[in-house]
Amino acid sequence: MLDEIKELPARYPQPRSAVMPALDLAQEELGHLTPEAMSEVAAALELDPGYVEGVATFYSLFHLEPTGKHRFYVCTNLSCALRGANEIVDHLKAAIGVMGPVQVSSDGLFSYEEVECLGACEFAPMMRLDHRYHHDLTEAKIDQVIAERKGRKEEIHLPARRRGASPPRSPGRSVAKPPGGETHVAIEPPLPGPPRKAGRGKRKDA
Amino acid sequence: MPELRGSFGDQPHHILTRWFGTPDLHKLDVYAGKPGGYGALRKALLDMAPAEITNEVKTSGLRGRGGAGFATGTKWSFINRDAPGPKYVVVNADESEPGTSKDRYILENSPHMLVEGILIAAYAVGANQAWVYIRGEYDEPRRMLSEAIEEARAKGYVGPKPFGKEYPVDIRLYRGHGAYICGEETALLESLEGKRAQPRSRPPFPAVKGAWGRPTLLNNVETLATVPWIINNGGAAYAKLGTDKSPGTRLMSVSGNVRKPGVYEVELGQTFRHVIMELAGGVTEGRNLKVFWPGGSSAPVLPASMLDTKTDMEALAAARSMGGSGGVIVMDDQHCVVRAAYRLLQFYAHESCGKCTPCRVGGDWAVRTYERMLANEGSQIDLDTLQRVSDGLQYGRCLCGLGDSAGWVIDSTLRHFREEYEDHALRHECNVGAVTASA
Ligand SMILES: Cc1cc2nc3c(=O)[nH]c(=O)nc-3n(C[C@H](O)[C@H](O)[C@H](O)COP(=O)(O)O)c2cc1C
Ligand code: SF4
Ligand code: FES
Repeated sequence: MLDEIKELPARYPQPRSAVMPALDLAQEELGHLTPEAMSEVAAALELDPGYVEGVATFYSLFHLEPTGKHRFYVCTNLSCALRGANEIVDHLKAAIGVMGPVQVSSDGLFSYEEVECLGACEFAPMMRLDHRYHHDLTEAKIDQVIAERKGRKEEIHLPARRRGASPPRSPGRSVAKPPGGETHVAIEPPLPGPPRKAGRGKRKDA
Repeated sequence: MPELRGSFGDQPHHILTRWFGTPDLHKLDVYAGKPGGYGALRKALLDMAPAEITNEVKTSGLRGRGGAGFATGTKWSFINRDAPGPKYVVVNADESEPGTSKDRYILENSPHMLVEGILIAAYAVGANQAWVYIRGEYDEPRRMLSEAIEEARAKGYVGPKPFGKEYPVDIRLYRGHGAYICGEETALLESLEGKRAQPRSRPPFPAVKGAWGRPTLLNNVETLATVPWIINNGGAAYAKLGTDKSPGTRLMSVSGNVRKPGVYEVELGQTFRHVIMELAGGVTEGRNLKVFWPGGSSAPVLPASMLDTKTDMEALAAARSMGGSGGVIVMDDQHCVVRAAYRLLQFYAHESCGKCTPCRVGGDWAVRTYERMLANEGSQIDLDTLQRVSDGLQYGRCLCGLGDSAGWVIDSTLRHFREEYEDHALRHECNVGAVTASA
């Protein structure tokens, strides 16, 4: 991998442009970006490790924590929320047994994250999973993709660093379904608290 | 073949989508077999001087489809073609504006239309290298575009001598990694250079000092995909469509509470009533329209009473909104405007790059204020705070448009739905359902 990374800078008008493709390669190999991996990328590109980390923390597709083998990126921006994305997230969390985006399911297979608009709003609610978009999500579709991937579990290589005990199941919010089995459901107002994620501009600076 | 949801090819004014739905249109042979497919590139290279091409685009009146609506031909003419040294064409395929999915529609269905447009633009402005900055989540569109480029390379259209003309052009892809701000043109250039994507102050403009410090033409996917038609049919033919100041057609992705969400090619000047009620089939059964975002989440909202507003940029400006990215988000009367605004402010706060204070601080401030109101702890003070934050984000107080956009969400929802805000802040009640936002 490092040899491949060392070849990247020559492909750009200035070598610095190689930093994201290089981090990409590292993440593909390791599943997420460890501090050591970022230092090695920095060394291979002759950049400051702090600089590389500054880039990695700015972009949401770089993961600094372990992720499941299959990570669900569920869009909860407006067009998807208007068609039931938040209920999909609740269902997914319960189904894989995690409370939040930094947790991995106890079998190491799954994690999830709520993401901003994925540019497929006409298929809302939708998500990205295993480099593919999944459209018109329902709870049944979520169950199905989970079952398919669990079925393949025997053939796949589990991440080396697995999470310990099974996390407590999501308590699940009380969801009142209007008659007619519609996907638009009313739920209680969100609780006050800190913003759900630190904005990218407030993350560690290079 | 990608699933098509929307309109394609069944109306005389369908320019971009005229061949959509043709099996294997993403293959070069199929695209080139269509009347004019790669014919515009051949014509541009063999029969036209670069300045003539730019003039044709000027005549068409085409305006950028990325958000700002800047005149495309004029932008092309800002690049000094004869300046020595490298020049670049950079294509904005970052498409991340909430409610917008139209560039994906082009990338997945007709990537060669974009490749042809890029090659024409490169020749017109004197660039030999083009970069397509494509959002990281677009795995499938990236694969299709990449295959299209390789097919074009194999044919020699991308390469040292397209159609025998000594004018080498190369196209390369650069993958983004998840940050809305990368759609802003100068942030995109920073990202392309391997940096955190924080917008640059202008001037210098990209036409003078863009990618890697070199003169750069930066255009949106749809803008460039429109160019082959203009070269084939003439700028004057394009200018006949649409309105005087907003000629032509544009793709509108209609989403939210409509019966037929999809991407529709709309002749500018048509009303939103036509787009929402006819093309997209109207609002969900048994519901009424409450509000819509006419041009992505950044475009100030319009209430149902303004459904007859026209889609051209002038009509939208008169309605105190904008055409923006062409994403039409429709919300019905079962949803709460305050919560929708809250969800969008979470988005803008999260996506703020943190470079300027009103945006970095104002976004979080607004989010906390919404949270207080939605937890029934609001008061008049919160309404005043929202207005103040909104003012602080607008009027050029921020370095880039993200700040303004956040301000417009607050400002326009407050302006049109004051009563709903007062219900929450003063009377601690909500009469409609939720657009839920995650805590
Ligand atoms: C916050 C922000 C996000 C933007 N996102 C995009 C985008 O995703 N795609 C795009 O083409 N333009 C986007 N723009 C507009 C670009 O800055 C630029 O105006 C456009 O790409 C120029 O191309 P055009 O003239 O062909 O429209 C964005 C602007 C701002 C301020
Ligand atoms: S307005 Fe916001 S996103 Fe734009 S430069 Fe300023 S802090 Fe960054
Ligand atoms: S809002 Fe979910 S894909 Fe656009």
